Amino acid sequence: MALSLQRRFTTPEPDESLESLAARSLPDLPLDVAMEHIRGWNLHIFLMRRPRGLLLGGDVVFIEPPQT
Amino acid sequence: MKEAVVLAAEVAAGHDGEVDLVLTLSYENGVVGTVILDADTAFEIMQSCGATSSADLVGRAWHDILKGI
Amino acid sequence: MFDILIRNGKVVDGTGARAFLGDVGITDGRIVAIGPELQQEGRRVVDASGLVIAPGFIDPHTHFDVQLLWDGAAKPALEHGITSIIPGNCSLSLAPLKADDRKTLIGMFQQIEELPPEAFTQAFDWTWEDFAGYRAAIEPALAVNVAPLVGHSVIRLWVMGADAQQRAARPDEIAAMQDLLRECLEAGAVGLSTSFVDVDENARPVPSRFAQFQELDALCAVLGEFGRMLQIVPEFYDTDITIARIDQLAELSLKHRIPTTLSPVFDNRQSPNNVPRTLARIEEQTARGARVWPQMQTRPIDISFSLLRPSLFFARLPGWIKVLRLPVPERMIALRDPATADRLVADVGEDGGERLMGRLVVRGGGEAPDHLVGRTLGEIAAERGEVPARALITLSLENDLSIGFLAANGGHDSTERIGPMLANPLVHIGASDGGAHLTSFSTYGDTGYLFSEFVRKSGALSLELAVRKITSDTAEIWGLKDRGLLKPGFAADVVVFDPQIIARGEERPAFDMPGGGMRYVRDSIGIDTVLVNGEVAWSKGSYSDSATGRVCELT
Repeated sequence: MALSLQRRFTTPEPDESLESLAARSLPDLPLDVAMEHIRGWNLHIFLMRRPRGLLLGGDVVFIEPPQT
Repeated sequence: MKEAVVLAAEVAAGHDGEVDLVLTLSYENGVVGTVILDADTAFEIMQSCGATSSADLVGRAWHDILKGI
Repeated sequence: MFDILIRNGKVVDGTGARAFLGDVGITDGRIVAIGPELQQEGRRVVDASGLVIAPGFIDPHTHFDVQLLWDGAAKPALEHGITSIIPGNCSLSLAPLKADDRKTLIGMFQQIEELPPEAFTQAFDWTWEDFAGYRAAIEPALAVNVAPLVGHSVIRLWVMGADAQQRAARPDEIAAMQDLLRECLEAGAVGLSTSFVDVDENARPVPSRFAQFQELDALCAVLGEFGRMLQIVPEFYDTDITIARIDQLAELSLKHRIPTTLSPVFDNRQSPNNVPRTLARIEEQTARGARVWPQMQTRPIDISFSLLRPSLFFARLPGWIKVLRLPVPERMIALRDPATADRLVADVGEDGGERLMGRLVVRGGGEAPDHLVGRTLGEIAAERGEVPARALITLSLENDLSIGFLAANGGHDSTERIGPMLANPLVHIGASDGGAHLTSFSTYGDTGYLFSEFVRKSGALSLELAVRKITSDTAEIWGLKDRGLLKPGFAADVVVFDPQIIARGEERPAFDMPGGGMRYVRDSIGIDTVLVNGEVAWSKGSYSDSATGRVCELT
C-alpha cells in the first residue's frame, strides 16, 4: 500500500529561531509572510504553548496549511 | 488566497476531563479542519478579540481573532 | 495432583478461539493442563460453574510506578482482573534518577499525573538511583506482574541535569543516554517512553520535548538491540500532528525493528474525522511493515469542574464567562449579588438550565456535603425549589466554590462509533492511565466496561475477541514472555469472571493515599477470582496476602 500524501512538516534545528525556520522552509516567500504562515499553521506552538513560540527540538512544525 | 474563517465553535471533553473548545475553520486553501483549544487559550483569545461567548467567534476571520495575541 | 484446579468454567483462552466448557490445572505457578473434565484433582479447587476462565488482563498504560512501593497489588487494578501492568509511561519513571533530581520529578508527576507529593515522601524509603535499584525495591511485595518502561525525561535529566529542560543534547550526551538506556533494558525495562505534550508544575515542557529527532533515533537504536518498545504521547488534540507522529514512529520502527505505540487516541463527535484519519494512516504504515500501535481507552471521558476555575462548560454563556473570569474574591461577591445571580440564571434560558445543567452530578471527595454526593443537580434543585442554574450558584457559594460537578460521558462516548474502533485489529486497547489523575477521575475498571458496554450491550466485540484484545494481543505487542494465554507452560495468570454481570462499579472517592490523600476509584463487578503466577491474589471480594507478582520476563 502506497503512503498517501500528508501535510508536510519540518523539525527545528538546535536553537533555531522562527526567522531561520521560516526562511529555510518557505524560501520563495518574503520573510515576514513566511513567518506569518508558520505562525498561523502551528497554533500548538504559537498560540497554546507557554511561552508562546518556544521552539522545541521535538516539535512538528507544519510548512503548509491543512490538506484534507 | 482567501482568509481562514471560523465556521463553528463547540465544546468537547479533553483527555484530562477538562472542557476544550473545538473550532471548525475553513482555511485559506478551502480545506475545512478543526482546531482544539484548551480553556486558558480559548478564554484568552475570546477576551483579546472581544468575543463574549464561543458563539461570538463564528463567522470571524481567524487572523482577526488572533491579532490581539 | 494440581496445586489449583479451576473446574467447570467457560474457557476463553485468549487466542480468540471459541470458548469451551472445561477445566484449567495449575502447578508451580504455571498452567499445566486445559481441557474438558481433567482427571487429576487439585489441592485447591475453584468452582467456575457459569463463569468464564480467561487469561489475566494486561494494562499497557499505567502510572503505578510510585504506588507499587507501598501497594504491590496496584489496587484496585488487580480486583478488576488486571494481572500485569506497564508503568513508566509518558517519559516519566522513578529510575534512573539522581537523588538531587527527585524534587524535579515529583513536580512533574504532580502536574501530569496528579499524584500528591506525599505519595513520594511518606510511604517508602527512596534508597535507589538506578533502574535495577527501583526494580529491587518493588519486586519483593509485588502482587501483580510489572513490565516497567523507562522514561526519556529522566534519562535526559540524569545525563544533562537542569539543561535537560533547556536545550538539545550534544553527541557525547546522546551517547551517555544510550549507555544509560542500555543499562535499564539489561535490568528488565520493557522499553522507553517519551512525551511531546506534557509540562511540569511550572508549565515548562518536560525534558523529553527538548530532544531532537536524532536523539530519539539514537535511543531507538538501543531499543533495537533488544527489540523493545517505544511509547509516545502525541499531540492528541490535533490529527495532522498525530499523523506526523505516526510517520515518525513508523520510520523508527522500520529502521530499528522495534514496536511502537502512541497513547491516547480518542473519539469525539465534535472532531469525527480524527480517529478514522489516524487509523487510515496506521493501516498504511502497517502495510509497509511498521509496528505502530494506537492505544484507545474503552471508557468515556467525564467532564468535571467547579466554579473555582473558569471552565469552557460555560463557553456559550457570556454572563457566566464574565463572572467566572473574575479573581476568586470578586467572583464570590458577584455570585452573591442577587441581581448578578438573577442575570446568570436568566442567561441559561427559559428552562433555568435544566437541559444544560440538570444532569450534572455532585462529586464526592471534595467539600460537597455527603447527602448531596452522587445526586443530580436537577434533583437537588427540585428539592430546594430552585432551577438548576440557581442551585449551581448557591451550592457553590455554600461550599466556598469548592464543590465539584461532573458531566458524565462528555467525550469518547459513542458506543456505536467506538465499538468497531476497539474491535479493529490495528487498535491496541489501553490508555487507562491507571494510578494517575487521582483527584480528577477514576482510571480503573476499563476492562469491566469493555465487557459490559461493547460485548454485552452493543455486541461490537465477541467475548472471545474482547478477551484476546486485552490479553494475548497485549502480551504479543509488548513482548511479555509466556503471558496472555491459557496454554500449558504459560504463567498461571488467570481471571474468573461472570460474563453476565462483569462491569465497573460507580466512581467513588477513597482516602487511601499516603497522608490520607483522596483519589477516585471504582470497585469491580462480576470478578470472582484472580490468580497471579498460580496463586490466588483476589477472591470473592478480598485480597489475599500473596506476593507472587514479578517483573515480567520478555521475549
